[in-house]
Amino acid sequence: MDAFSSVHPSLWADLIAFDYWPEIGQGTLDTVVMTVVSLVLTVIVGLPLGVVLFLTGGSQRSDKPLLARAQSVIHAVLSLLVNVLRSVPFLILLILLMPATRELIGTSLGVAGSIPPLVVATSPFFARLIENLLREVEAGVFEVCRSLGATTRQTVLWALLPESVAGILGAITVTTIALIGYSAMSGVIGGGGLGDLAVRYGYQRFNTPVMVITVVILVVLVQLIQIIGDRVVTRLSHR
Amino acid sequence: MSTAPPRNSEASSSSAGPRSSEAPIIRLQSVDKVYRASHGHAHALYAVDLAIERGEVFGIIGRSGAGKSTLLRILNLLEQPTSGTVLIDGQDITRLGSKDLRYLRQKMGFVFQQFNLLRSKTVYENVRLPLRVAGDMTVQAQHARVLEVLDLVGLAKHAHNYPRELSGGQQQRVGIARALANHPSVLLCDEPTSALDTETTRSILSLLRDINQRLNLTIILITHAMDVIRATADRVAVIDYGRIVESGAIVDVFLKPQHPTTQALLAEASFEAGSHPPTSWQQRGRGRVLRLTYRGTVVATPLLTSLAEELGQQFAILEGSVGRIGAMPYGDLIIGTQEADEQQLRRLLDALVRRGVDYEVLS
Repeated sequence: MDAFSSVHPSLWADLIAFDYWPEIGQGTLDTVVMTVVSLVLTVIVGLPLGVVLFLTGGSQRSDKPLLARAQSVIHAVLSLLVNVLRSVPFLILLILLMPATRELIGTSLGVAGSIPPLVVATSPFFARLIENLLREVEAGVFEVCRSLGATTRQTVLWALLPESVAGILGAITVTTIALIGYSAMSGVIGGGGLGDLAVRYGYQRFNTPVMVITVVILVVLVQLIQIIGDRVVTRLSHR
Repeated sequence: MSTAPPRNSEASSSSAGPRSSEAPIIRLQSVDKVYRASHGHAHALYAVDLAIERGEVFGIIGRSGAGKSTLLRILNLLEQPTSGTVLIDGQDITRLGSKDLRYLRQKMGFVFQQFNLLRSKTVYENVRLPLRVAGDMTVQAQHARVLEVLDLVGLAKHAHNYPRELSGGQQQRVGIARALANHPSVLLCDEPTSALDTETTRSILSLLRDINQRLNLTIILITHAMDVIRATADRVAVIDYGRIVESGAIVDVFLKPQHPTTQALLAEASFEAGSHPPTSWQQRGRGRVLRLTYRGTVVATPLLTSLAEELGQQFAILEGSVGRIGAMPYGDLIIGTQEADEQQLRRLLDALVRRGVDYEVLS
């Protein structure tokens, strides 16, 4: 730190005197709120969606022909929906969803207005992660549940999800980081948060310090989440 | 404790009336299983008939791909037979609805080759799982039962360990405890010792035998190893290319294997009885070579000495084994006589018949 301040003796003084700290503080808080609320909603939507995708997928279909047919139709429809939502670029999705968002929560701007498009964008992504995770669960786990006479609900809640809990937390980490990235992008259409700050001050008003500081904060946030996520996964993993 | 009747009054009325304890607990009648694949059919089982008695340990042996796993999985309908009936306590389970089928499976324990424990759960939670699934016990009752079965398999101390912290043998004990937790009427074991070393295999097999005796629990065990059958089973069926080619009490099957596959399996186990090629003793002077097989009380008598005294002949023991299969003492000897004419041989054979010894004149 000494070497650093000797090269730029005025840097710390400049940083302390920086005018935009209140905005940056608010922006950081907004980003965290957007991310957390969207994450919770994404898990609420995406986890069941992933489980349904898995259960209606090839390996888990019923041996009764009619039921298997219904399952494959459900799978095809959900799968198409997920693929469509995942292939639309997020910026386009943001714009496409503006009327619906306004209808739903009264505004398409700010923190609240960003949340619906974020959830719509990340839920299909999260659902696919979950589906793939569940496919990795050993066949033996299903064998056990069948041999015990468990219902599908019991199998999912008591065996499948507990067996993949470490993977699910990994998926949540990845999704959180994707959400931080997306939430910054929603700044382009006035979404609030650090991205909004970077666009309005850094891009439109050529305020490089604000731009740099927001980027640094985003990097730190992502790093923190990854480290915490990895630790929790290691703790919960019983392999 | 009984498998049938499930909570379905219609299903049980067909098998009403007092059942004699002689009635087999499981009976298969001309069961076929065909796997349909895109390129033709694979016939896994052909017209399998089988009756398994209450309280016995029934072994099913065969090579990999012979259909033994399929056969076992048909017993609790993890696989549907293509045709034929599967009667459990006199009730055709192939007609059960999904709810009754789940109940049936709750009452049939299944032990897996690869243990199949949930790695995210402790030993305690793994063993409690079947009780939660059945859902007809209070939490306190579940707790007591889990501790009881863990004690039975000798793992009470490890209740709060995770599976990865246990050895293979201990993991299989957890698998057995889990299979026993919900008071099953039948225990199905799918190659329970194939993933274990010899020493551990022995201890797991004696545990199974012990459970069979103590709880009078019917156990059906499949394996490719004759040693496993010998150590555990009362009766055995040999399955080859989807057909049951031989079955009976294990002493009979071990001492008098009829089918080439049985003989080959015995030979591979390097188990003495029935495994040696008799041809090796054929060129031996003018004496005779006989194979004697006997079992039961005669094993404890001085057989050769008494023959020698009665006939005034002497015998050489060329090869053989004496021991027990299950609880049954047996002897299987190849003996050589002195030079003997037809009349002397006749007297020897008569003496053997009187003593209840089976013989085969090899040369």
